[in-house]
Amino acid sequence: MAFVEQHIHDAPTSFWSKYLFSFDHKVIGKQFLWYGIFFLMVGGLMAMMIRWTLAYPGVPFPLIGNLLFPHTGGVVPPDTYAMLFTMHGTIMIFFAITPILIGAFGNFCIPLMIGARDMIFPTLNMLSFWFSMASGVLLLASLCLPLGAAAGGWTSYPTLSTNLGQPGMGQTLWLLSLFLFGVSSTMGAVNYITTVITLRAPGMDYFKMPLTIWGIWLTSILNAIFVPVLGAGLLLLTFDRVFGTTFFLAGAAATSGRGDPVLFQHVFWIFGHPEVYILILPAWGIVSDLLSFFARKPAFGYKMTALSLTTITVLSTVVYGHHMYTTQMSPLLTQSFMTLTMLISIPSAIFFANWLGTLWKGSIRFHSPMLFSLGVVFVFGLGGLTGLYLASTSIDLYLHDTYFVVGHFHYTMAASVLLGGFAGTYFWMPKMFGRAMNETLAKWHFWLTMIPLNGIFTGMMVVGYAGMHRRLYNPFIYEFMNKLIPINQFITYSAIAMGLAQFVFLYNFFKTIFFSKNEPLASDNPWEVGTLEWQIPSPAPHYNFKEIPHVKCGPHEFGNPNLKTGRDFQYQTEELVEVK
Amino acid sequence: MNISFSERLFGLIAEVETISTSGNRVFTFWERISPPEDISTSGHLIEWLFNYTTYVNLFWFALVCIGLFGFSYLYSQKRHKIALYTHGNEKKHLLITAFIGLGVFLSVDMVITKISTRDMKEVFWNFPEGDDVLKVQVLAQQWAWNIRYAGKDGEFNTADDVVQLNNLVVPVGRKVMIQMTSKDVIHSFYLPNARIKADAIPGRYAKLWFDTTKTGNYEIACAEMCGTHHYLMKGQLTVLSQEDYDRWLQESQELAIATNDTEDMDLRWGWKWGSR
Repeated sequence: MAFVEQHIHDAPTSFWSKYLFSFDHKVIGKQFLWYGIFFLMVGGLMAMMIRWTLAYPGVPFPLIGNLLFPHTGGVVPPDTYAMLFTMHGTIMIFFAITPILIGAFGNFCIPLMIGARDMIFPTLNMLSFWFSMASGVLLLASLCLPLGAAAGGWTSYPTLSTNLGQPGMGQTLWLLSLFLFGVSSTMGAVNYITTVITLRAPGMDYFKMPLTIWGIWLTSILNAIFVPVLGAGLLLLTFDRVFGTTFFLAGAAATSGRGDPVLFQHVFWIFGHPEVYILILPAWGIVSDLLSFFARKPAFGYKMTALSLTTITVLSTVVYGHHMYTTQMSPLLTQSFMTLTMLISIPSAIFFANWLGTLWKGSIRFHSPMLFSLGVVFVFGLGGLTGLYLASTSIDLYLHDTYFVVGHFHYTMAASVLLGGFAGTYFWMPKMFGRAMNETLAKWHFWLTMIPLNGIFTGMMVVGYAGMHRRLYNPFIYEFMNKLIPINQFITYSAIAMGLAQFVFLYNFFKTIFFSKNEPLASDNPWEVGTLEWQIPSPAPHYNFKEIPHVKCGPHEFGNPNLKTGRDFQYQTEELVEVK
Repeated sequence: MNISFSERLFGLIAEVETISTSGNRVFTFWERISPPEDISTSGHLIEWLFNYTTYVNLFWFALVCIGLFGFSYLYSQKRHKIALYTHGNEKKHLLITAFIGLGVFLSVDMVITKISTRDMKEVFWNFPEGDDVLKVQVLAQQWAWNIRYAGKDGEFNTADDVVQLNNLVVPVGRKVMIQMTSKDVIHSFYLPNARIKADAIPGRYAKLWFDTTKTGNYEIACAEMCGTHHYLMKGQLTVLSQEDYDRWLQESQELAIATNDTEDMDLRWGWKWGSR
């Protein structure tokens, strides 16, 4: 394993080489974290505007409405509304969740947790960040165009996303931006996969890796295989827009030749379904580890959990058709996709059982990372189970494209991933920035997020079941939805409450990093955990490990009754104490 | 009428807030969160499966919650100082986990898959044929529904076709078979009251069928994002009694023949029934 020599170069000294064009995986991880948090705020603000419009159509957006939409007296106009939900989806998925869960935690955790000094391809790593930076700049620039940014939904189905439906440059910039993002993701994925394969410290077998690494590694494999598929689709659509080809054009707009709009849906969802697992797998990994760390008990059925995650990864590649039932693909195909989709519930049930098994007879410490992890178990339970309705071909006839879908995927992709991301941030904060965040504020943050979060997404499922469909500027044009106004207002209040709660996090985060210089640094191992990164000083030093560690036991050795060290856990570098 | 316990409960809560926006109708909370009235013969199948899924989901989610909250309470550091040292890889542990996986597979996956497939095969994909079936062509466009009836000669795209904008008129109790496509972008023909939808895609013919059990006016919605005015793409489903329908058809027919402009090719958007 350690057949790659890991040289130590001098630490960079200038501001540029240290903080901007850094090769250091820890710095790049932090760059991705900042990047993700910035876009999380942008996407969050957009969510507020969407929610406000759904609860109070035609009423000016409070406080900043007049500044943003002076022509309409502060009311969000319908074309801007379409732009907002398109950009909200795009930003949250590609520019907030991906950078935080994969960019930040992937970069930061992989070398530290497998006992390496850096990623295997540091230059590629740096390039990956700067490509995503270019991609983010393009996307933000598209907001300033005269005809506005892309407004065809984050899925950008043609023919709406061709020149027919989106005449402005916004959609083209969106395509280019996502293409660049894809390049960045692929570079990151190649780097992560190779690093895990080649740079694991001696003794670090695959089944001794922390589950966080399992999650990120599986995610990277999916990324490397399926992001290029998206890239292909995006390029073809760009050709349709710019060079006049007709890959996806049909109907009156196809003046010469004939393409098929459904082809794009196939290409998009071949990528798009693995994408939801790309987003959730790192969070699952982090949660699986943290539950064990804070229950002070070995991860229940560790190998089964790792294998379940792998099974889900494989299954996730063959279920994409359930996004397209209403396009009336052949009944044989829809039935196969339904059955395959249903199969995912088996490995999911297994790792859920293992998560609960980890808590069983533990000695649980309710620190903030643990609270957020338990939160993930709760919201992913809801999110996963509601997926069963949508996998069914007949129920989907009614629920497809309703708010039920919106509620479901926000539970799985937004709520679970966000809570998992917070858990990780609170947990690795001492190792990243040298100091832990304030626990009291962190716990307030948890409850203030958790309660409105369930109000929002359960509310969405309720209005969805009542028939409210998606992407409506003013749903109450329809008479059958008039009775849903109070519920929509409740969802909006919950969203505002959850949005405001994030300022608790921001205050805590910025204060810890920038305004706590006088406080002492965190100890090497504030959470009393045995994985490799907690044996080196906080924050992690230049090149992490002076000596490459030799791994002798698994990552979750807690509560061994024969331990004589006075600790209740073993470091991974210690020989496993036998239980006689 | 029997009122279930949950309806009573939610009714009590809802009596406090009785704001109504459509007319003077007062909704209970339970009515607010219920789907629109089912006027089809097939909608109850979807509701049955939805309810079944809800019950098994509640069962499994209750188990998750018992584990989550119960273990959090029982095994907090305060109450349970020393954790049990187990890796959960003994035979009995594996058996329990496998049992849970199997339970989910049998109680949820197999049942939903089976019933879904049965309903699709016997009802939703079992398209009606014969003279008894009312055939309608729908052309979706930004942002309206064009609706075409074959007229007396039974042939589509002829001079006696009845063409409607945003108003689908059907007789109660008769099966309606719809073929549709789109002129520009993808739309989705959504009948909330019949619990079905199908995408109208340019370059393809989609089909769907339903029948009705009640007369009245209901709404047709576009469920697929189709541009800025997606939200305004609303049609009306008018369900008439057979006599009213016959009268309406007769009048529309005469009007269609009287006003038909044979030169205007834009009116000839129909297609031969059944062509792919």
